[in-house]
Amino acid sequence: MKPWLWLVVFVAACALVPVFGNNYALRLATIMCLYAGLALSWNFIGGMAGYPSFAAAAFFGLGAYVSAVLQSKGLPIGVTWAAAGLGATVFAALIGMAILHLKGHYFAIASLAVVEVLREVVNTAEDLTGGGMGMNIPLPGMPVDVQARLFFFAMLTMTVLLLAVTIVVSRSKLGFGLRCISQNEDAADILGIDTTFYKVAAFCLSAFGVAVIGAIYASWVQYIEPPDVFDILYSVKPLVMVLLGGLGTIFGPVIGAVIYLALEELVWRNFLTVHAAVLGGLIVALVLFLPNGIGAVIRDRTKRAAVRS
Amino acid sequence: MIGSMKFSRRFVVALGGAAAIGLATGGVATAQDVIKIGAPLPLTGPLSPEGVKQQQGYDLWAEAANAKGGIKVGGKTYKVQLVYADYASNTPRAVQTAERLITEDKVNFLFSPFGSGAAKAASTVSEKYAIPTVAATASSEQVYDQGYKYLFGTFTPNQTLTEPLADLVTAKDKNVKRVAILARNDLFPLAIGQEMEKSAKSRNLEVVMFEKYAIGTMDHASAITQMRAAKPDWIFATGYINDLILIRKQMKDLGVKAPVVTMIAGPAYQEFIDASGPLAENISSAAWWHPAVRYKGEDVFGTTEAFNKAWADKYKSEPDYAQASAAAAGAVLQLAIEKAGTLDGAKVRDALAAMDAVTFYGRIKFGPTGQVTSLAPPVFQIQGGKPMVIMPAEIKQAEFKFGVN
Amino acid sequence: MIYFQVLANGLVLGGLYACIAVGFSLVWGVLNVINILHGTFIVLGSYIALFSYNLLGIHPFVSVVTAGAALYLIGHAVQSTLVNRVIAAPVLMTLTLTFGLDLLLNNLMLVAFKADYRKLVLENPLGQLEIGPVFMPLDRVAAMGLALLLTFLLYRLLRDSRIGRAIVAVRMDREAASLMGVDVSRINAVTFGLGAMMAGAAGSLLSIVYPISPLNSGMFLGKAFVICVLGGLGSVPGAIVGGLALGIIESFGAIWFGPEHAVTISFALLILILIFRPAGLIGKRGFE
Repeated sequence: MKPWLWLVVFVAACALVPVFGNNYALRLATIMCLYAGLALSWNFIGGMAGYPSFAAAAFFGLGAYVSAVLQSKGLPIGVTWAAAGLGATVFAALIGMAILHLKGHYFAIASLAVVEVLREVVNTAEDLTGGGMGMNIPLPGMPVDVQARLFFFAMLTMTVLLLAVTIVVSRSKLGFGLRCISQNEDAADILGIDTTFYKVAAFCLSAFGVAVIGAIYASWVQYIEPPDVFDILYSVKPLVMVLLGGLGTIFGPVIGAVIYLALEELVWRNFLTVHAAVLGGLIVALVLFLPNGIGAVIRDRTKRAAVRS
Repeated sequence: MIGSMKFSRRFVVALGGAAAIGLATGGVATAQDVIKIGAPLPLTGPLSPEGVKQQQGYDLWAEAANAKGGIKVGGKTYKVQLVYADYASNTPRAVQTAERLITEDKVNFLFSPFGSGAAKAASTVSEKYAIPTVAATASSEQVYDQGYKYLFGTFTPNQTLTEPLADLVTAKDKNVKRVAILARNDLFPLAIGQEMEKSAKSRNLEVVMFEKYAIGTMDHASAITQMRAAKPDWIFATGYINDLILIRKQMKDLGVKAPVVTMIAGPAYQEFIDASGPLAENISSAAWWHPAVRYKGEDVFGTTEAFNKAWADKYKSEPDYAQASAAAAGAVLQLAIEKAGTLDGAKVRDALAAMDAVTFYGRIKFGPTGQVTSLAPPVFQIQGGKPMVIMPAEIKQAEFKFGVN
Repeated sequence: MIYFQVLANGLVLGGLYACIAVGFSLVWGVLNVINILHGTFIVLGSYIALFSYNLLGIHPFVSVVTAGAALYLIGHAVQSTLVNRVIAAPVLMTLTLTFGLDLLLNNLMLVAFKADYRKLVLENPLGQLEIGPVFMPLDRVAAMGLALLLTFLLYRLLRDSRIGRAIVAVRMDREAASLMGVDVSRINAVTFGLGAMMAGAAGSLLSIVYPISPLNSGMFLGKAFVICVLGGLGSVPGAIVGGLALGIIESFGAIWFGPEHAVTISFALLILILIFRPAGLIGKRGFE
């Protein structure tokens, strides 16, 4: 039952932000949920199944553009978000069947190439997406403060949903199968696990989460252009966050996202032109000194405390 | 396990150190009587060369204003304090930065982030908080047509660049008939390419090629080969400075010549001339400002000559239009604050809307959407390694020359 | 007629591409490390060539040697002090490490050199070679020739020298090589150094072709990825084949489908190759 308890604590803590914080705090909290959602989504394929996917930016951009295009055609935003999630899931199933038989680096590169191709496809489909001119998707008739809260709660809901799915999956046959695949795929295959189906399922879950978050994001910022939403950093950041928090764990991605955002904000505020260098230095330090993530340190401590008492 | 404990402690110490440095640099005591102006800048990432130019312009203005005691508001004078933040050339981050500057750093006024896209995105935030905002580098009309009241821009619309060029070229040589356009598939360069297409068509010039290239293109040989086959009289290439340096180089590599070669927006920058060397010769362009313009302004800089001199003293170079526009954004804001006699956002906003003043940068009068309408961008051409003004006639420095080899 | 020119364009571009990718391919193939720093190493090589020419009048073709040597030392140091510590960890760890290092180094270069695009303008430009209607820019041809020469030397080094054989042995089987008495950590450092050296040499060749700025590193890295997959990982001749193939594909793609699609085509092709021929266009022969 313990993970569910932590989930409730997390939700309660987040829900307090709009009560006490100002608009900027609310914006940060929204970004935090966005990061946590991306990290949780990536964790299905990257953490549990152990496939180094860089496709997150592709799904993020796809979700953002599906939602933006449908919104500009006059559909209600909730519908466009759902459509973005479903569209990306189908897309991921097709792409996944093609590239998930690749291993290691080859899979990493193929997933990276998906980002590049989608970005340019969107860039050239001008009639639909406005191409390099970007897309404006205003949300008229709603006060900005209400909007800020709406998007925060939408992002939070999505994160909580992904967290719940993570808990369910990690205790299910799917989670077991994915862990087997990540340990030794050939052995998993011999054990009778339908590895292709499991991997595609994890890839689809990951795509769904990222795409809905991308869709909410598009409605939130109200102006998107291809280089922004197909930014490769949307693929790299979740990976760093999950490494920070601990690979393949339940709360690791969330912990990692919180720490990453805190570092990013701290460094960004205090170093005008060298914040990227400082962030890079911190990442290097983390990889060298905390290879199992900060989550591992916390777990070690609690275990030790348990032994002592 | 023990190992990771040890390392984690070391790591925490390192983090603490980073935080301490942060406090030391970030915690500048705020004096009384200052006007805080926030400026989100792209100091890292693809737009960083532009970010630095803007920062130079703002800095020079703030220094000039503070050297005269500050900005007079009613009976008091306030020092100018600029609050910079880097948004790493990422538009959503620019919006976030704008909100941070307003809510956390409590700035009174804002300068927009670079370019049309980011300026438009960030204008939503400044509108929400009723913070008067001046955009120094946003030219697209779509930035200003959202019905916002707090956004003002010092660049005239895109077509004000292509129209005078087309006038000039068609007036000088009736044989220029065939136009080839190569545009970067990106907000501003693409818009300029499309404006050029319109300007050409309305003068019965034939557009023999209109191709776009993707952001981050590393080779233009195919496009230029096609261009050579199309035999244009006028080659019009748009992009940012790195694209245009490469395009010009590859035109030479592939033996493409034309009577007129126009590039926007790069040749106005000294960096383009330095990087292209002799290949820059006779490239024409247009920009919103040029150091050869001459105005007697009522702003803190006074005349254009005085501004150029102040610039040369501080940066040992001639100012270009982007740098001048940033300084002008400050000078214009200062005029409006002094006119309003208060720091109240709504009143300063009204003063900006009602403004009709001459500055070192030109006459500033904002149209109903907030975009400046009172300026005519000069046309210029690189001659002898210098950008020489061809139009308007009052400040002409040289005659237009045909032939780019 | 236009197609001769397009083919020529593709070939000389392909030469540059090969030169960008060789070092990246070597490091990836032998060490199983995706070196995100590669693009930044190339840019650093360009700056060395730029400053050598502007301050000392040294021709960039000569700077190939100094830039290569300087980058070798940097690469060797990075591998032996940092990357070696996590070389046995999963792919993602080494990738994240080099990603962090790249953020650091690229940002420092941005501060030190400014982001402004600069260019090495030769006092006596090399000009063009005109063969009938076909123009070949000589600086590109020369860069391509030098790149081929360097790659050939690297190939001989790997095949004929003791250290080269050790590198190949490590590539084929790390554990076995270690058992046979190969100092794997040292070989790792040498290999990473050689990869960086090729990046530095490439950077100084490219300084006469491309504008120079820290901002270009991502573009170089992206190309290196595609070329390595086209040619097959860790194979030096593969990088040449991959580079030439990419150059020709992009050139014809731009003519047939418009320049805006050139890059898309190359990435779509990359996915197809991965799906149908994951060992690259010329198979798995590697150095052998």
